Parts: sequence; structure tokens; C-alpha cells
Amino acid sequence: MHVPDGLILFPQYLVYYAIAIVVIFFALRWARNSLDERAIPLLAVLSAGIFAIQAMNIPIPFGTSGHMMGAALIAIIFASPWAAVLVLSIVLILQAVIFGDGGITALGVNIFNMGVVGGFVGFYVYKGLKNFNGKAAVFTAAWASIFFAAIAAAFELAMAGAFPLDLGLFYMGGFHAVIGLIEGAITVVVVVALQNVRPDLFSLEQKPSEVASK
Amino acid sequence: MVNISSIEMESGKTSILHSLDGRIKIISSILIIVYVVYTTDLIILSIMEIYLLALILMSHISLGYTLKRIALILPFGGVIALLQLFIREGTVIYTLPMGITLTQQGLDFGLLLLFRIVVCITAVVFLSSVTPMQDLINSARKLGVPREFSMLLSLTLRYLFFFYEELKKIRNAQKTRCFDIRNRRTTYMWRLKKVGETIGMMFLRSYEQGEKVYFSMLSRGYSDNSNLYAGDKKLNIKDFIFISITLSLIIGLETSHYFSIV
Repeated sequence: MHVPDGLILFPQYLVYYAIAIVVIFFALRWARNSLDERAIPLLAVLSAGIFAIQAMNIPIPFGTSGHMMGAALIAIIFASPWAAVLVLSIVLILQAVIFGDGGITALGVNIFNMGVVGGFVGFYVYKGLKNFNGKAAVFTAAWASIFFAAIAAAFELAMAGAFPLDLGLFYMGGFHAVIGLIEGAITVVVVVALQNVRPDLFSLEQKPSEVASK
Repeated sequence: MVNISSIEMESGKTSILHSLDGRIKIISSILIIVYVVYTTDLIILSIMEIYLLALILMSHISLGYTLKRIALILPFGGVIALLQLFIREGTVIYTLPMGITLTQQGLDFGLLLLFRIVVCITAVVFLSSVTPMQDLINSARKLGVPREFSMLLSLTLRYLFFFYEELKKIRNAQKTRCFDIRNRRTTYMWRLKKVGETIGMMFLRSYEQGEKVYFSMLSRGYSDNSNLYAGDKKLNIKDFIFISITLSLIIGLETSHYFSIV
């Protein structure tokens, strides 16, 4: 779903850039407040790991392959959508500049779709559902993060006049509804494994009250 | 093989373009990309592509390698460009069985998208092939990217190679245990679970590495206010010549387009 250069034209991509810059500013502020000074080393090294994870091709039953996005996973573990925004932004910037995967002018669009939409949808779906069933909440959150990021991309391409909305929703939505199932399944496995091995990683969830009382 | 180490190896070669200042190369590439996304003229796009390929040849980077890198990125944009043929309304130029029609407008727009995408990817391939990654970040820092953010990017870059190796090691270990991600004799869910565990392992290793790196940085005097050392390189005449050539090419093409010469 990495939108390349050339599909979204001049004044429009600046709007997404503006959104991306504002959002990264807030994400950095979140990192400073909730992770203190270990924020930069921790998130940077984690981004490198996510970068490598995204490079891992996973076969999909129809013969193609896809890869993990990880926005919901990060948002769930750090208990904040801002973590996903920050990590995904770093990964997307490096992918665009080093590999050309996702365009330079389309960087704002991609950060918006995968970081902001993916992170926020993933986080709030999880938050809304986790009291019913933890695993189902993780699965749905990861699925929704992929699906709605793709839907956002379909809307943006339609607004840019590059691809009609009905077909975009059908193809992008349909394809990513399937990819999302895999993201969901893998995210559940990862979250369960991490809860068993390092339950302390999830402790950030309680932190806001602690920070407030300081 | 195109992977992150091969890209970094290309950028370690020596040529006149490799020796240019990173800032100049970043600005020139962005100028080219912004112009390419703006223009609608296929001839201009072809000239830009030829200019970029000439630059790539001048920097002793193999053409085959460049094409391979472009081909790897193309699918998503390429499919959108190809589909234009069928979805645009306009003059029908060819009718396929089952009433599928190809239109002239679709062909024109599809070609425009395809040309644009290819030229933009070529520009990025050029940039990343002649500039070491760390140099890119340092130059971005000098161009005004905030301190914290460039530090994040720089550290991420430093550990990218490490985690590619780490992933390779995990997968080699799995191979020795005869695990094959495409083996259909095991159930899909089981394979997915194994992939999930691999990813969980990678996540854990990167998180723990991140904590370790933080502590070792702390013990070497890192604090909130630490800054990235970016070196102090001054622009010289070569840099100005290169950016003037690029800029005059763009301005020249745009004016000749304006007076409809091209």
C-alpha cells in the first residue's frame, strides 16, 4: 500500500505533508513525556527491528505474498497510537529514501495512512474491545488497522483523480481485508508470546496515572 | 541481489558524483522529483530519465542493478497505471472479448503515470546509490531536520544492518530444522504461527537491544540534550556546478515546454 510518487499531485501532497509533520511533532512529545530520555535509543532500535520484520515476505494462500505492517502491534504494546505513528514514520521515511518504496512526495500520504490511520484505528479498536476478549481485540485491531489504511489510500487516490473510488474501494479494500487477516493472526501470536515472556513491556498501560501523580 | 547491504556497497564507490555534498544531492533529487510529479509531458519525462541514467552511469553504478531496483518497486504503481487503460472513459481504441474496452485517454494517462513513477524511482535509486545512508541523515540534519528526529533516523539506520543479519540467522536456524514457510504439507495456520513467533522474537530482540543501547549510551554520557555530530563540510565549486546544471535543465525544459518547443 506504499503510494508511489506521481499519483498524488502538487497542492494535495503538501496537505498530507503538513498533517504528517504536525503528527510527528505530537508523537515526539508523547515519546519525551512517557518514555523519558530512553525514548530515542529505544524507539530507534525498535524501528530498525520493525523495518527488518517488514522485509519478511509471508505467503498468502492465493499465491502472492505480503508483509507485516506492525502499526497495531506497536500501538498495543506501548499503549499509545503515537508510538505507532513515530515508528512507522521512521520506517516509511527510510523505505522511501533508501529503497524508493513509497514516493518522496507521497511520504506524507503514506505516513498518514499507515502511521496515523493504522496506529489510531489499531489502538482504539483494541481499547474498545479488550474488555470483551483480549485475543479477539488484538486480532480485530490489527485487521482494522490494515483495512482502514487501505480504505484511506483508496479515498486519497480518488481525490487525486488517479483511481476511481468504487474500484479503489473494491480492489484495495478487498485485497487488504485478506492481508489484514494475516496481520491479525500474526499480531495475536506476537502479543501472546510477549505477554508470556516479557509482561513488563505492557506496563506502560498503567503509566499515565503514575506520570500524572508525579 | 538487491538488499540493504548491496545498496550501501554501491554508495561506497568513488566517482565525482559520490564526492558531491549530500545536501546538494538531496536538494537536486527532490527538485527533480517535484518537477517530474508536476509535468505532464512525456518527452520531458524521458529527458529527465535519460539525465538520471547518465548520472548513474557516470557514477560507475551498473545499469542492470539500477533496472533491477526499479523493477522491484514498480508493481503497485505499475498496476494502477495499467488499469487506467480499462477504467478511463473516452475514445475506444480496441475492444477485447467480453466487452472490455481500451481507451485513448486511458492509454495517455496510464503512460503518464508509468513514466512519472519510473523517473521518480530512478531519482531515489540514484540518490541512495551515490550517497551513503549516514551521510543522507547528516545532510538532512544540516538542512534543518530537527535534532531529535535526525537522531532517531540515524540510530535506526545503524541498527538496520544488525537486524537484517539477525533475521537471516533466525531463518537459517529454522532451515536447519527443516522449516519451510511454503511447505504445504503443514497447515497454513501452523506456518503462520511460526512466522508470528519469529516476528515476536525479532520484536523482543530489537526491544532488548534498544534497552541495551540506551544503557551503553547513558554510560558514555548520553543525555536528553546530546547532539549528533554531523561533521563540518563546506560546499565547493563542484557542488554548485552540479546543482546549477540540474536546475538549468529543469528551467530549460519548462520554458521550452511553455513556448511549446518540446
